Amino acid sequence: MTLSLTLGALVSLICGLDRVAILQMMVSRPIVAAPLTALLLGEPLVGLQIGVMVELLWLARLPVGAAVPPDDTQVAIASSVLVIALGQSLDASGTELLLLCLFVAIPLGKVGQYFDRYAREYNVRLVKQVSSALSRGSFLAAEGQHLRGLISFSLSSLGTYAVIILGGWSIIPLLWPYVQQPLSYSSSWMQLAFPLVGITVILGTINVSRAITLFCAAFCMSFLLMWLV
Amino acid sequence: MAISWRTRLHIWFRLLLLQASWNFETLQGIGFFYALFPGLRKLYGKEKLPEVSLKYIGYFNTHVYFAPLVAGAVLRLEEDRASGTVVPEVEIDDFKEMVAAPYAAIGDAFFWGGLRPLVAGVALFFAVKGILWAPLIFVLLYNIVPIWIRTVFFSHGYRHGLKSVEFIQRHKLPDLAIHTKEAAVVILGGLSAFMVFSQLTQHQLPSWLGMLTLIPMVMLGLVARKGISTLLLVIITVSAIFLIGLFWADVVQLMVF
Repeated sequence: MTLSLTLGALVSLICGLDRVAILQMMVSRPIVAAPLTALLLGEPLVGLQIGVMVELLWLARLPVGAAVPPDDTQVAIASSVLVIALGQSLDASGTELLLLCLFVAIPLGKVGQYFDRYAREYNVRLVKQVSSALSRGSFLAAEGQHLRGLISFSLSSLGTYAVIILGGWSIIPLLWPYVQQPLSYSSSWMQLAFPLVGITVILGTINVSRAITLFCAAFCMSFLLMWLV
Repeated sequence: MAISWRTRLHIWFRLLLLQASWNFETLQGIGFFYALFPGLRKLYGKEKLPEVSLKYIGYFNTHVYFAPLVAGAVLRLEEDRASGTVVPEVEIDDFKEMVAAPYAAIGDAFFWGGLRPLVAGVALFFAVKGILWAPLIFVLLYNIVPIWIRTVFFSHGYRHGLKSVEFIQRHKLPDLAIHTKEAAVVILGGLSAFMVFSQLTQHQLPSWLGMLTLIPMVMLGLVARKGISTLLLVIITVSAIFLIGLFWADVVQLMVF
């Protein structure tokens, strides 16, 4: 249990930094972060399922200028940890548990936006510190202040991860006995709904003329091809 | 004095940490200073270096993958200014201000709005099939263009200075962004069809039902255009499916007994 949470925290930290502060190689995307977490915990397919469900949800929310999109990275990582760890302690598995974990993690993930905002507000202090270090001619200190920003972003990622894990850990075991059966009637359709909702949001917000026409044409053509073949 | 390739490489690596101190006041300002500092240190003596450095920690914001292009060009301008042999046509601060916003707009449209959904769509085809390599496919496919742009544009910026702007114009990136977005829409259309078709096949339902999926999808797309949050759309859709599932289960039970 502790090992699972620690491994999850480690992935949360690395992917959280990739999201804004360093590299931007997109290992922070849910389709990468969730399977990576689940692979480390020994159940990569769980992570892949979560990645498929979360990847497209907020893809249309662009990190443009000072805009802070919801932290889908931590939602994906924490959900993977919750599904695997709670699955062992509740002796449960399957799409129903996965869905319940996501239903709890997604609203809690909104907290990540506040942490992310706070990290960026906190980093404003660094501007003054860099300025005074440069005025003193202390260049090494000025460079160090820049790297101190990484601490804010690390804490923000870990904070979001902790909130989702703690929230999920206290809510999911209480809900599970009541929702397991009702969820089983429609779990596979709900699983399909997540990426489809994400795609509709992308369609609604993408700046392409006749996006809906193009989408419908591609959908129909692909569907007919699969039907015929 | 020309900046050596070692220093330029050092700067290139530091640009990977451009946003480490991202903040609401100067955005990437400190990061831009941090990245360029090894070059500035080579060009200016201890007396002038604090004054020059202070100029760089102000507001700066561009797309993170285009920052190397700006950094390369600024480095060349600094080199010209420090040597005193060539007088730059525009002030370095003005140049930064002039190019940062347009580059940010082009980068946001191309990378975040086009390439990312396109590659995500491709990777999800593999993921839906349960292929565990899907994340690796996503990372590899996505990073080809950013790594190329970060490397080639940085060297181009350094070689051409002010004229690096023409390089962007020649590549017609805004047009490419539109085409990438169109390709993303097509891929996502195919992906939706694939997921719906697989689901129907799995439940042994008639395939033509899948065409009906377009109706709620288009409706939700139009609702999303009005600015309704994704979270709300998820709650509405999932609740509707949950209630239909419960109703369906009751109907089936009634029919059985």
